Amino acid sequence: MSAAASLAPPPHVLAETRALYRALSGTGAAPQTILHGIDLQIARAEFLALTGASGSGKSTLLYLLGALDRPTSGEVWLDGVEMSSLDDDDRAAFRNERLGFVFQFHFLLPEFNVLENVSLPMLRRGVPRSEADDRAYESLGLLGLEDLWRRKPGQLSGGQQQRVSIARAVANDPALILADEPTGNLDSRNAELVFDVFAHLAHDQGRTVVMVTHDREFAIRADRQVALRDGRVLGEGRRGEDILPSSRRLLPSDPP
Amino acid sequence: MALPAAAPSARDRVSARSSGVGERRVPFADLRTIVFIAVRQLWERKLLNGIAVGGVVLGVLVLIAMNGIMQGFSMKFTQAILKISPHVIILDTELRPQPSILARYEQGLVATQVAHEVPSDRQARIKRPYEIVHALHELPDVKAAAPSLSGMALIEFAGKTKSIDLRGIDVDKQEKVTPLSQFVTAGSIATLGVANDGIMVGSGVAADLGLHVGDVVHAAAPGGRPLDLKVVAIFEAEIPPVDKVRAYALLRNAQTLLGRPDIISRIEVLLWDQDRGVPASDRIERAFGYDAEPWQETNANFLAIFAMQGMIANFVVAAILLVGGFGILSIQIMIVLQKQRDIAILRSVGLRRSDILRIFLLQGVVIALVGGVLGDLLGKLALGQLAKIRVHMEGLVKSDTFLIHEDPRFYLYGLAFALVVGVFASLLPAIRGSRVEPVDVLRGQIG
Repeated sequence: MSAAASLAPPPHVLAETRALYRALSGTGAAPQTILHGIDLQIARAEFLALTGASGSGKSTLLYLLGALDRPTSGEVWLDGVEMSSLDDDDRAAFRNERLGFVFQFHFLLPEFNVLENVSLPMLRRGVPRSEADDRAYESLGLLGLEDLWRRKPGQLSGGQQQRVSIARAVANDPALILADEPTGNLDSRNAELVFDVFAHLAHDQGRTVVMVTHDREFAIRADRQVALRDGRVLGEGRRGEDILPSSRRLLPSDPP
Repeated sequence: MALPAAAPSARDRVSARSSGVGERRVPFADLRTIVFIAVRQLWERKLLNGIAVGGVVLGVLVLIAMNGIMQGFSMKFTQAILKISPHVIILDTELRPQPSILARYEQGLVATQVAHEVPSDRQARIKRPYEIVHALHELPDVKAAAPSLSGMALIEFAGKTKSIDLRGIDVDKQEKVTPLSQFVTAGSIATLGVANDGIMVGSGVAADLGLHVGDVVHAAAPGGRPLDLKVVAIFEAEIPPVDKVRAYALLRNAQTLLGRPDIISRIEVLLWDQDRGVPASDRIERAFGYDAEPWQETNANFLAIFAMQGMIANFVVAAILLVGGFGILSIQIMIVLQKQRDIAILRSVGLRRSDILRIFLLQGVVIALVGGVLGDLLGKLALGQLAKIRVHMEGLVKSDTFLIHEDPRFYLYGLAFALVVGVFASLLPAIRGSRVEPVDVLRGQIG
């Protein structure tokens, strides 16, 4: 690897991918390449939407940005650290300290109440119990859920559960929040509510948010949109730009 | 416009985190989290885990009950046998037979071939027995020693005849080695010492012939002179094989009856420490040249049976604990498969592989410990109840109840075995759980 390739990105860049490839060795079949060399920079306090049809590789890119997966080749820089330099335990610690996740199916632990679900990552890090609970409660307050802290996830609606999982991601005070189709499983009212929370986190709290979404309406309202198709970046757009029609126009000249 | 103003605060927060200041941390955060998760998940699956605990409880309970009974029985036997039998018996078998006087005189063999050997009429005996008894008392292991003569005799009473194992004893000396007076149920052993023609018979002998104290029996043995002996005492050692055949008489009466005047055929020895039977016997053999048999050898067949019984019982216990282990294994495997999503969440919020491994291992250990403690408690209760069960036992040992020995070590063994089973049974599920890749689970959910 050349010295230039391993230079850390400038400080205002929170996350960067360089020539990122990811192939899955399918069972029996030939390896299936999901990402074909993605180069992407995400600035601090940016609200980025990753769009694309299913199978475009947007979720895989998100998992790589979240240090949940390892690339076949290429680099992922997060907050000045190159992820392939970390082992499995270090990446777990990194996720614990610097990242927050929100998934489509609002993964909460059913045995723990709302407050415990939110404070668990902090407990693992060594934050004293009372402090972790205070911060979890505060974070729930941010999402209007403080009255539900004692409930088990099973007693909440889908929208409430999703907001709890956002509270969990936020309470961790992460450098980067990664959301995988956070509105995908919600009705339009709750989806709107959840989107507004992300917008608030990015714009009013200065947090960096990467959100994978199917929903064009939401994507357009993010600071920046990156559209993927077949593992390649198809196009980018700023807030308010509808990049999909233009990308459709790009299609005939799109290199194979 | 809020963006540029907010960005530095976010950067400050991150850099503060990176340099490790600004957040208070407690030690053993990993253990705290693991225990929190493991215990909560166990508690939320009370029924399933209760079943797993039940398997362990059963194993530990059986371990304690079985060993309590086995030990009770074998210890009772050993205790009883060691009151009526000595720790070491010196027999009349010479280990280094002296060549005949003629051979010594001729300085070599006097015959090269014996055509028809007639068994010597020189009967086996212990030579200079009283000197040996005196010398035995000088040995550090020996507490007491008593010379005696034993032989088979027939006694007849009211038309019934019975073969007995007759012991001719010196009452005072014998009492010091085997405290016979403890076992006397009728009459008195003192009378045996003072009466000229007394005999003390086992309770089984008395029952067979219908004897009571005061009855006179006719006793005879081949080659001896028949005697009429008066029953002065009846004893019961609570060991039927002894009680059914043994009788005691004065040494000189036995010598007359058996036709072996002045002969001592055995010396019974009591040791300070019963466990030193084997080394003491070796020492005695070397010193006196007669075969000395420790009680472990005399009762080797019984002790072997006990050992075998113990082994079989512990096989059963091991099998039950193994089944208990499979209970933990299957339930834990099921939970691991069911909990893929939860594992993926825990991994994505920063728990390590080793954390997941330890959560499932800890759950196995908790199940095993709860099962072990409950098994111990129930085992203690069961021993108490077993001891109250009335049974009529008359085989090797005579007793009216189950003989129970409560050895505290078995409670520890129960706990230790449960723990080993718990750790081994949850190892496979724990490894399986720790290998779950969060990405695989997430892809499965979304695809």
